[in-house]
Amino acid sequence: MNKIFTVLKNEFQTVVMRKSFILTLVLLPLTGFVVLLVVSALQKSSGVAAGEFLNELFTPEEKQAAEGYIDFSGLMKSIPPGNEEMLVKMNSEKEAADAVRDGTISAYYVIPEDFMDSGDIIYVRPDYNPLGGSEESGVINALVAYNLTGENLELTYRVQDPLNLTEVDISNAMVRESENWLTYVLPYAITYLFYIVILTSSTLLLNSITSEKQNRVMEILMTSVTPRQMLTGKIIALGLAGLLQTVVWLGSGLLMLRYSGSAFALSSAFLLPASTLLWGVVFFVLGYALYASLMAGIGALVPNMREASQLTTIVIMPMIVPLIFISSLTTTPNSPLSVFLSLFPLTSPVSMMTRLSGATVPLWQIGIAVLLLAVSVVLLVRASAGLFRAQNLLSGSSVSTKNFIKALVGK
Amino acid sequence: MNTISVDSITKKFGEIHAVDKVSFEVSPGEIFGLLGPNGAGKTTSIRIILDIFKPDSGTVSVLGGPMTEEKKNKIGYLPEERGLYQEIPLERCLVYLATLKGLEETDARQRVGEYLERFELDQWRKKKVKELSKGMQQKAQLITTLVHRPEIVIIDEPFSALDPVNTQMVKDLLCEERDRGTTIIMCTHQMHQVEELADRIALINKGQTVLYGSLDEIRRRYVADAVIVRALQDLPASLPGVREIIKQNNHAMLKFEPGKTAQDVLQMLVQKNISIEQFEIALPTLDEIFIQVVQGKGDGR
Repeated sequence: MNKIFTVLKNEFQTVVMRKSFILTLVLLPLTGFVVLLVVSALQKSSGVAAGEFLNELFTPEEKQAAEGYIDFSGLMKSIPPGNEEMLVKMNSEKEAADAVRDGTISAYYVIPEDFMDSGDIIYVRPDYNPLGGSEESGVINALVAYNLTGENLELTYRVQDPLNLTEVDISNAMVRESENWLTYVLPYAITYLFYIVILTSSTLLLNSITSEKQNRVMEILMTSVTPRQMLTGKIIALGLAGLLQTVVWLGSGLLMLRYSGSAFALSSAFLLPASTLLWGVVFFVLGYALYASLMAGIGALVPNMREASQLTTIVIMPMIVPLIFISSLTTTPNSPLSVFLSLFPLTSPVSMMTRLSGATVPLWQIGIAVLLLAVSVVLLVRASAGLFRAQNLLSGSSVSTKNFIKALVGK
Repeated sequence: MNTISVDSITKKFGEIHAVDKVSFEVSPGEIFGLLGPNGAGKTTSIRIILDIFKPDSGTVSVLGGPMTEEKKNKIGYLPEERGLYQEIPLERCLVYLATLKGLEETDARQRVGEYLERFELDQWRKKKVKELSKGMQQKAQLITTLVHRPEIVIIDEPFSALDPVNTQMVKDLLCEERDRGTTIIMCTHQMHQVEELADRIALINKGQTVLYGSLDEIRRRYVADAVIVRALQDLPASLPGVREIIKQNNHAMLKFEPGKTAQDVLQMLVQKNISIEQFEIALPTLDEIFIQVVQGKGDGR
């Protein structure tokens, strides 16, 4: 026990005193503070609330030019009040095309003769942007609705926007404003935070083992501590270093928000329920233990970091999967794919946190994810500890993925 | 009670017998030489004694019983593959390794400080290990081996890559440790170094013990039928009772015919009126014994 603590202390000290560790620990929050300062400076000079300012930064509203329409159906008698500047009546397609070329209108609609039967309207615009989505202003809807309701403005509004839906969440979870940019950014931030912290901590473990092999200290260590004491000390130490990183980053994030104060209308947008933070710790610890034991297994077998690279790429592949499906995880957090990713042990630490930060996840799913993850951790730690024996630690040659998996399952 | 008893240990790696029924005993306070050519199985034997490897069969007893965590703290080991943490300051590296041997951090710091001064590494204590020269790192490694005042010191190839000054320093240190009562196992293929220091030896070849006993006794066992003679005048080309005269720098080795003794040769030289400055029995060197043994003339003990 005493020696585990000695290994732990030395390992933790070595990692946190490393320049690169201190730099990443400090630089990331520092960048955040700088961005915050710039934003609040801009806010003061422009008079726009910072929240709105950022919203605009993320989703700028484009100024829309007027659009034209040519009516062959004869149904469109007049333009609804308030839209006169947005819509211009044209008499022929040639006139409309010329107007687009001149820049007086940005695009035009052609309403055919059989509009009443088919509902078809042709939208003609100069460029094509498949990723930008529809830039069509929607003013044509107002035109059609206004004229079909006999130029009754109130009826037009009701047709266009038939109901005002108020959602009441009976799960009692904290509701975040869906309009706020942070609601959108938060799951991403949490996902990347988990990805980075789990990956760096477990890679640090691999690094520490291979450097002991390369520095040839391993044999001296073997006569002082058992491989298992060494593995335990290292895993705990580097896990603590990861936790320190998470705490500093999250802590400085919260500080920044507090500093920004009332200028940001962030209270409900950024608030994460305490339970999410608690699950965060659970998933970090388990996720880290899972990947750390895989990395330790690699470290035990290979002679140096270079030989390890192929294997680590394969091992961290499952960590990247949630990043690939991140939009699906954030937009449809309860789809079968999202549920699967957040239950499967190799992807669950990151995926579940993404889901938790974006939606309410049924408790039974969290329970199953934790259970599956914990079982996998126990099995993998046991398998890796089996590889962590003198014969492997003192030799080492290049290991293929196939042989690594064979070694893990004990063949 | 022997400090270390190795009883018929065997270890296979795949199909290769690294160690095959090796046995020897090391007495308290002696310098014991574990000898053999490269790849003979010396390091594997040492690793089995240190409990790094488990033997396939056979037993090892250290300080009166099987190895325990506590006993590990009473052993100082300098492996053949020397190494220290390269990226941390020298003092921190040595203190860490000393605390792993059970020393309290304050004790470790004090003793490391004393050794650093003694080995003239004091001014390097805050430097990263990688900034030290190879010789300095060797010295630092010795500190790691001795700092916790072990009862047993096991040194694998103690003189490899050492210059004459440092070789002498290591020899002096080993003698000093022996005088303190430390039991020392020296594991090497450099036989001539052992002749100076070791009291007893075991010679391993191809995983098996081929020679074992006190150095004097072994050398007498392998006495060649020859004497070394230094005469004031040139020796004649042939002498009665001598089958071969090998002239060396300023002396000659006279090999007897079968049935003759050193006494016979001395009498014959006196009768021939040859003035003799030096006359001694030609004791074989360990190198010569080793070559004889591995060429199939070993006693197999």
